[in-house]
Amino acid sequence: MLQLTPQTIRIIDVYDDGTHARHFTFEPKGFVHDEPISIGQFFMLTVPGAGLAPFTYTSIPDKTGRFKALIRNVGHLTKKVFSLGKGDVLGYNGPFGRGWPVGLVMHKEVLIVAGGCGLAPVASTIDYLIKGGSSNSVTLLYASFDIASQVLKKERARWSSSINLFETLEVGGVSGRSGLPTQYLSHLLNKNDRHPDIVLTCGPEAMMMAVAKSCLDLGLKASDIWMSIERRMRCGVGLCGHCYVANSFACKQGPTYRYDEFVALENKTVAFEKHQGLFQYC
Amino acid sequence: MTEANNMANKLLINDLDVLKHHIAKFYSVVQIQKDVNGQELWTEQLGDKLDPLFGHNHLPLTSPKGFLFAEKEVLYKFDGETFETILPRVHPKVLFGVQACDLSAIAYQDKFFEHDPYYQKRREHILLVGIDCESPCANGFCVQVDAGPHVKDNTADLVLSRLSVDETNEFSEWLVIAQTEKGINSIKGMMLDKADNKHLKRRRELFEKVRSEFVDYSYISNAIEYLNDNSVPAQLWEELSVRCMGCSGCTNLCPTCSCYSTYEVVEKKTVTPASISNEVKLEVTHSETIRCWDSCLFEGFQKEASGHNPSQKAAQRVERFWFHKFSDEYLPEFQRYGCVGCGRCEQTCPGSIGVHSVMKRIDQQCCN
Repeated sequence: MLQLTPQTIRIIDVYDDGTHARHFTFEPKGFVHDEPISIGQFFMLTVPGAGLAPFTYTSIPDKTGRFKALIRNVGHLTKKVFSLGKGDVLGYNGPFGRGWPVGLVMHKEVLIVAGGCGLAPVASTIDYLIKGGSSNSVTLLYASFDIASQVLKKERARWSSSINLFETLEVGGVSGRSGLPTQYLSHLLNKNDRHPDIVLTCGPEAMMMAVAKSCLDLGLKASDIWMSIERRMRCGVGLCGHCYVANSFACKQGPTYRYDEFVALENKTVAFEKHQGLFQYC
Repeated sequence: MTEANNMANKLLINDLDVLKHHIAKFYSVVQIQKDVNGQELWTEQLGDKLDPLFGHNHLPLTSPKGFLFAEKEVLYKFDGETFETILPRVHPKVLFGVQACDLSAIAYQDKFFEHDPYYQKRREHILLVGIDCESPCANGFCVQVDAGPHVKDNTADLVLSRLSVDETNEFSEWLVIAQTEKGINSIKGMMLDKADNKHLKRRRELFEKVRSEFVDYSYISNAIEYLNDNSVPAQLWEELSVRCMGCSGCTNLCPTCSCYSTYEVVEKKTVTPASISNEVKLEVTHSETIRCWDSCLFEGFQKEASGHNPSQKAAQRVERFWFHKFSDEYLPEFQRYGCVGCGRCEQTCPGSIGVHSVMKRIDQQCCN
């Protein structure tokens, strides 16, 4: 039987990390993670009095079971989380869903395109690749609205010494470092020596679709593009029905989808808009 | 189940009340009843008031879905430190006289909620007594989606089928088929005559007779094909969805709809600030997480806190609803469509975009 009841976690650290965003460290209270967690999976956070919602691990549980998550204050549930501090307890269920194809990524030229707080779900992958000795073949294109809204400052500082990190701002960026991420794809994809084998993208859905389309135009195969999507969820185990993408549930078959699989799902229905042109950073 | 297929488990009875009273010794009876407005609903009987309104010629507005997948229930509670599962407190219930369509829906939900502890806790205490329909109902098209009009194999514990009726003496002969161990046990101790092959043959004849009485619903089969060909134009969904008011009437009455949401009921206490600079905050000391039926046709069903809504347009929501009911994509998992042909959505939809209206439009538009 599924266990819908959460286990207790305690906040042991919290700090501001970007506009309206905070980085939390949680510690399990009275339980151990009983199944291995894949990078790119997610967990459900129960906030007593406010409800439950999915969040990504910015770092998966270490030996002590501690893990981190970046949370943006955007709705009534996260507002409640922001009223909490060290020592407060919350509910935890997880891990859920399908993570990034890390087995495919290791030792390949990888381009990661993240937008806004879409950097959080790829953070563990970057750490994993660095730890695995692949840092030379990782390029991160990180796009955000402005300098204040950039998240994961500590992580980016750490990564900048080992991976190829390229940041762009929609507003306030200096020349050559401003505008949308898609503007820089031709530059990053055309480099003869470092042409990516695989692209991982996470950010606003319209951004991911635009990134994927640009990558296709630049010669990448649809099956080499992976994305992690966001959906509203009320269970994480394929029951509540909220996170559907055609006949799949993002909590089970996602949140990581191969681009061609995702497009095939979208094409099963006709009224869903494909490839919206505009996007906003969350 | 070889034992259940044995002729020993095929019996005859003349008075269903006798059967029901026997079962009522061990189970609380849930059956179709008229409410004060004359509306026929699935209701739990209290006391010994057992006036029958059997399903063979009454399709009630509600299905018995709520007796398995509760309309509202507590999942767990929080005491300030830990979370505790609250499973439903249940007692044995018999759903007496369930039609084939609703039984097919229960079999569908049994699969969907196979690992849901709340659903299964209720399910294991329920005895399903199915009843063969004797005539097509107003909006029913169970024959088109392989859900009726007779009870499908392995969807009920007991199946009742009226083989003959003598109106003058109010005498009926009913075939009782026990399909499961639970069904066999429920009639233990009753002295019933055994049925023979002639009774089973009679049931098959009645099945063919009822089947032949259905009007031509081929537009439904056609529309299912068009839906699966992906040949329904987006424009048609736009036109149909203008009529969707997001009232959730269809999803609430649909016996296979299973989407739910959760909400919290809290007990708060004021925390006195330690110093003047601390803001007064309400601390949640106890809370309960409750789940309740939700509807994929609500505008906010998929809306995220950021404002992003993957199904912002009514056309998207309406299309996805019908995709969920009739797409071949779900066949590997459920071995049947998500629609059991009860027609309740047609009966209730204030915008007239229930199943018949929608499938007729698709058939008309796509066949040209």
